Amino acid sequence: MRRRVVITGMGCITPLGHSVEALYRALLEGRSGVDEITLFNARRFPTKFAAQVKDFDIGKWVADPEPWSNSGANTRFALAAARQALADADLLDNQQVDRTRIGTYLGSGEGIQDFHHLVSLVAQSYQKEKRTVHAPTFERGGLQHFHPGREFEQELHTTPAHLADVYDLQGPNYNCLTACAASSQALGEAAALIRHGDADMMLSGGSHSMIHPLGLSGFNLLTALSTCNEAPQKASRPFDKNRDGFVLGEGAGMLVLEELEHARRRKAPIYAELTGYGSTADAFRVTDSHPDGRGAIACIRNAVKDSGLAPEAIGYVNAHGTSTQVNDRVESLSIKKVFGEASMTVAVSSSKSMLGHLIAAAGAVELIISVMTIRQGVLPPTINYEYPDPECDLDYVPNEAREKRVHNVLSNSFGFGGQNISLVVSRFDN
Amino acid sequence: MASSSRRAVITGLGVLTPIGQTLDAFWHSLTHGTSGVRTVGSFDSSGLPVHFGGEILGFDAKKYIEKDQRKSLKVMARTIQLAVAAAQLALDDSKIDKGKIDPTRFGVEFGAGLIATELEELGAASQVSTNCKPGTVDLEKWGEHGLPCMPPLWMLKYLPNMLACHVSILHNAQGPNNTVTESEVASLLALGEAYRIIARDQADFFLVGGADSRLNPLSLVRQCLFQPVSRRNEAPEKACRPFDRDRDGIVIGEGAGVLALEEYEHAKRRGARIYAELVGFGSAFDRNRDGAGLARAVRAALADAGVNPEQVDHVNANGFSTIKSDVWEARGLKDVFGRCLPDVPVIALKSYFGNLGAGSGTTELAGSLLATTHGQLPPTLNYETPDPACPIHVHADGLRPLQKPYFVKVGFTDVGQVAAVVCRRMEQ
Repeated sequence: MRRRVVITGMGCITPLGHSVEALYRALLEGRSGVDEITLFNARRFPTKFAAQVKDFDIGKWVADPEPWSNSGANTRFALAAARQALADADLLDNQQVDRTRIGTYLGSGEGIQDFHHLVSLVAQSYQKEKRTVHAPTFERGGLQHFHPGREFEQELHTTPAHLADVYDLQGPNYNCLTACAASSQALGEAAALIRHGDADMMLSGGSHSMIHPLGLSGFNLLTALSTCNEAPQKASRPFDKNRDGFVLGEGAGMLVLEELEHARRRKAPIYAELTGYGSTADAFRVTDSHPDGRGAIACIRNAVKDSGLAPEAIGYVNAHGTSTQVNDRVESLSIKKVFGEASMTVAVSSSKSMLGHLIAAAGAVELIISVMTIRQGVLPPTINYEYPDPECDLDYVPNEAREKRVHNVLSNSFGFGGQNISLVVSRFDN
Repeated sequence: MASSSRRAVITGLGVLTPIGQTLDAFWHSLTHGTSGVRTVGSFDSSGLPVHFGGEILGFDAKKYIEKDQRKSLKVMARTIQLAVAAAQLALDDSKIDKGKIDPTRFGVEFGAGLIATELEELGAASQVSTNCKPGTVDLEKWGEHGLPCMPPLWMLKYLPNMLACHVSILHNAQGPNNTVTESEVASLLALGEAYRIIARDQADFFLVGGADSRLNPLSLVRQCLFQPVSRRNEAPEKACRPFDRDRDGIVIGEGAGVLALEEYEHAKRRGARIYAELVGFGSAFDRNRDGAGLARAVRAALADAGVNPEQVDHVNANGFSTIKSDVWEARGLKDVFGRCLPDVPVIALKSYFGNLGAGSGTTELAGSLLATTHGQLPPTLNYETPDPACPIHVHADGLRPLQKPYFVKVGFTDVGQVAAVVCRRMEQ
């Protein structure tokens, strides 16, 4: 029989709070974390708002903030969320457990580029008439102006290495970056490592911020973002007919996954069991998801099958629900396809209506929310749901939280480029 | 430990490297001591302290992609083009009939790193956004006048997951698809993960590998700032000298290595040629950077394979050629293999083409896979003076007949992420 994997710790830094409790309370109240961008001057961008993390102070989470002065938000948020999750699981400074049996698998994003130096150096070295950059001019300027530490901290392997260093996690160490599916994929593969016996505990989740000039530019150029500047808090409206794109968010979500018997032996709190994982690719286009939901359907189906449950046993779906025209339509039809008649009764909601889209970190935060629905028996709503879309005709828990006891929850994450990940968490009764 | 009756074998290889863009050329260079490290030719590097690297000359992505798909090359940075091309080579080499693979059982996993933007694409936007203060940009001008100067799909050209995404699209691979972003160890971690996915019956066929191209002004500036890069400008081909006493840092190279990894019965049924069986995988974090974690990862991989150190023909090392990390790598290897008699030889193929970043692991692994088919182990280049701080047997002298059925490939990052893979030669 395969090793069972349970969740024994959770932590997060989000636009709606810096703890799981604060986040969940805000979600049940239907609060929006979206507002004007203050991290930089975005007044002339097509989109001028985002869901920023507020009042974050790294000094509250690490003994000495100085070494993290060059790190991007991805690493700082990760350090804070990981500390919460590890403390929650009683794994902080706990020398009773074998530290070589704790691994790290993140779906964490890149650090933040030095936009101002990069762009001003390009401006200096660009030869307009030839449409080329005079390389030596750029090189000399770069060596002089880029900060070595800050450049290093952008590298994609640094965040999981920092967590492993700071929290003494000597087991397998990974980072994957599959766009919006990354941290869900990290959790699924982290569980697989535990099942195979490579580790007994895994710190897993994600951390990301793309609320910076090049991040916002990239998404605006793709016209993927909402431009509802007149009412930012109404902009993220998953499944609503008038949705016009997603809203950027930022933050981190971290979970401790643990082999069941290991958790039992050390009497760790068990929040839920991770029972199902599905992973597929659309193999369609880099810009669009498959219009018939080919990859999403197979992914949801695989995850439910992996959990050993029938679709009817899923009481709640925490949707990817980005608030883009295509995603919400395709996700709705995929749920219908897999759930059949049960799709008319299953509750579906999108936390992105309140949190925005945390990109690589989205899936982990949403899995935490999924666990909380099992524990609290209250489902967070989809806010800003006003105008029904005939192509999105499921029960989206519109605008108000709902009491409902659920045993099994499905969480979807679909990445730009076609990676689909679904996870199933289940109530665990001792 | 979980065990599985499903086995995974390597049935195809594709490499694009500074020492060859075909398997024959690659092997020829490895067996003739030909270095691919030379003065950079694709751009003017005179503003940098380092003017050389492992550069691929004359790579033309169009050669590797069907005519009707070529327009997608425009949204692929060079790293992605290398990945797509090497994947095509691996698929061709596997001789599989693509139509006969169940698309839902066809997975793709890549190791990838940060991909630098082509500076020209920011050129016009940057010039309309300057203000008088050096080092700052007028964000209002950028938002209003700069953005419209940029290519609409700009971001997609540089996302690390696009290696695996484009490969999945080009070959209709609808199975599991992941992108591991752990610098030099990324493609070995990806390989280990694909191996496990096949073992747990979620795929039958994988294209798995890594690619990286950092030979451009922005990436090289950044590497020079935070990595110990060799400054041996007067003799580039001598610069990468893993475990040698006179090593002075890494050499940046570019390249891609992709494997076709296939479930054994699936391969056998179609009569596939098998390079080797992947029999063990292990990974760890070497927190003190002293070799203890590396030894743990290697032991885990050997245990996974059920193999003793004495059964190992050779170790295909990471060999950064930096002063520090070669020492802890040697220490870790000595810890595992130190009691074997005779010594287990170690090779380090970065000595031929430099550090291929996320492409390193699988490209270097290809060297050992070709060695198993030829029955001969190529030497490490530039190993001239042993370093007492690296007390391992570095094979540096001619071709050595393979003697034992297993080999180990090690990869790591200098911050401590380690992976090890064990392969077994197949008797056919």
